[in-house]
Amino acid sequence: MNRLRVDKGLAYSDVILLREGADAVWDISVAAGASLQLTFIALASGAETLSCEISVAFEGEGGQCLLRGLYITRDSADVSFRVNMVHNLPRCTSRQLFKGILAGSSHTLFDGLIKVPAHCIGTEAYQENHNLLLTDDCRAQSLPQLEIYADDVRCSHGATFGRLDADELFYMRSRGIPEPEARRLQMVAFASEVLEGVPEGIVTQTLGVLEKLL
Amino acid sequence: MAENEEILRQLSQEYSEGFTTDIEQEFFPKGLNEDIVRAISLRKGEPAWLLEFRLDALRKWQGMKMPSWGHLDIPEIDFQDIIYFAAPKKPVRKEDVDPELIKTFDKLGIPLHERDALTGVAVDAVFDSVSVKTTFQKTLAEKGIIFCSFSEAVQNYPELVRKYLAKVVPPGDNFFAALNSAVFSDGSFCYIPKGVRCPMELSSYFRINALGIGQFERTLIVADEGSYVSYLEGCTAPMRDTNQLHAAIVEIIVEKDAEVKYSTVQNWYPGDKDGRGGIFNFVTKRGLCRGERSRLFWTQVETGSAITWKYPSTILRGDGSHSEFYSVALTNNFQQADTGTKMIHIGKDTTSRIVSKGISAGRSQNSYRGLVQVAPGASGVRNHSQCDSLLIGDGCGAHTFPVIKCANAGAILEHEATTSKISEDQLFYLEQRGISAEDAVSLIVGGYASDVLKRLPMEFAIEARRLLSVNLEGSVG
Repeated sequence: MNRLRVDKGLAYSDVILLREGADAVWDISVAAGASLQLTFIALASGAETLSCEISVAFEGEGGQCLLRGLYITRDSADVSFRVNMVHNLPRCTSRQLFKGILAGSSHTLFDGLIKVPAHCIGTEAYQENHNLLLTDDCRAQSLPQLEIYADDVRCSHGATFGRLDADELFYMRSRGIPEPEARRLQMVAFASEVLEGVPEGIVTQTLGVLEKLL
Repeated sequence: MAENEEILRQLSQEYSEGFTTDIEQEFFPKGLNEDIVRAISLRKGEPAWLLEFRLDALRKWQGMKMPSWGHLDIPEIDFQDIIYFAAPKKPVRKEDVDPELIKTFDKLGIPLHERDALTGVAVDAVFDSVSVKTTFQKTLAEKGIIFCSFSEAVQNYPELVRKYLAKVVPPGDNFFAALNSAVFSDGSFCYIPKGVRCPMELSSYFRINALGIGQFERTLIVADEGSYVSYLEGCTAPMRDTNQLHAAIVEIIVEKDAEVKYSTVQNWYPGDKDGRGGIFNFVTKRGLCRGERSRLFWTQVETGSAITWKYPSTILRGDGSHSEFYSVALTNNFQQADTGTKMIHIGKDTTSRIVSKGISAGRSQNSYRGLVQVAPGASGVRNHSQCDSLLIGDGCGAHTFPVIKCANAGAILEHEATTSKISEDQLFYLEQRGISAEDAVSLIVGGYASDVLKRLPMEFAIEARRLLSVNLEGSVG
């Protein structure tokens, strides 16, 4: 298990490229006034299975946690993300943003929970999961869950499933952009929210994988 | 002055439907076994295939465990301590209903006489285990519409019943469906023939009266090609310190180009403010959009029951079929609700929409649980789900547990949910205009739920608004 603790008032950010067989269980605690930004990237092909479990708890008020995830899967790969975000103290903020691009006959799962126990007022917690399905054989599953026992909170979640927008594609093609390039641009745009601030090496690797989906 | 007294009286009434009717009734002995099932079947003079169906369901039920996956705290239920059949003794023929019963339903605002055609609603009234009266049967028969109690349907239209019974909810579907299939005593049956638009609202009204009984009714609605029907369901029960079980099944079959609207205002006794008593409402409702372009609309307002476990679902099998689910679930005091819907997209170009509004107050727990599933061959599917929760006070809980499974790249699915409370600003604004805190809350809640309430037929919408404000009493301050 990977333990990560962000001390009082500090800010920490990291990018994790998930690999098959490597430990992907994260136990995170965020101290008072601390802020954490973690980005998980899963690029899976062949028969790879990647599963990542993230638990977050707060040690003091005013903690902030941003979790981002990008999964790009093809062939018969299987990727799952499980997030357990427990707002066990008042006035903490969290955001989850997980995006997936699926091809081949790959399977993905996003299973995220925001839990706000009683009296943890002033909580702000948001959760998003977006999936882009490129083939008819892939399977995406999403379980965005809210469990809330306090009233003065702001919590929301959203999940979407869709394909590459045909109108956008037409728009670009009508302006002389070849179809593969237009599709690539659409996927890059979809992923860019997660890739922002990610080291160049990993971005290049990710873009290289997108190329293979065309 | 008199006005103030009226307001006080209104406020002190907790649950106006909580009276009991003193009427001679016949009871079967407590407990559930083959003999009880045989006795129910014999009493109803059922054909052999239906008895076999019941016994098969009983065997399935005996091998099942009560589901525990809900976000509910259900006390142990002793299924051998329940009376499975209770019926008023008096009425032999349907034409002369016991005046006591007419009075009871009048008190509940359900007209059992047909003189008041203004209401424009045909009613099938179920009292404990039997249907006591179905109104406007003749008027409907002129159009070829069959609307009667389930027992009558078994006697008069056995072929139709056999053709459609349990085709949407098989007996072994779940614990409570199996229980219902074994002991169901009555309910409503409705068949709308090809191309007929039902001229009035059809309605089932369920009343639990006797102590210690469970109510197990079945509703079967079949809308043949190109037909239309709007169906309403209401329910109430007396105030008691003990819990009572209600496990119903509703099956709806919608053929090609047909449309069914099914609206529920669920107002079972919710228990008192300390959480004593109340109905356990464990219901299986499911519709099958069998034909192309068929449409099924669910609207529910859930304000009653100590525990609600209910997921009205639609299987969208016909290409181009469409379903919508609109729900308001209000829980107060110690009520618990775990409710939502399932939209299973099998046909091509099927669309669905889910709007769920949960309101929790007091120390209640209110959960939305839903499934949106797209089968591999279902291209062109579109779904939008919106699940909002409103918390009133810091002792309650509001939860959202959606599951979305997509196996087709052509589908576009969206789910969003928010949780919020009534803002101080809204309350302040209304209060400084002379509106009491309590009225302000019901006004805000009414606005929050209006997306759903406006889908209800008018009489039901008024009733639903009244229920929302009555059930919120005592939740502020």
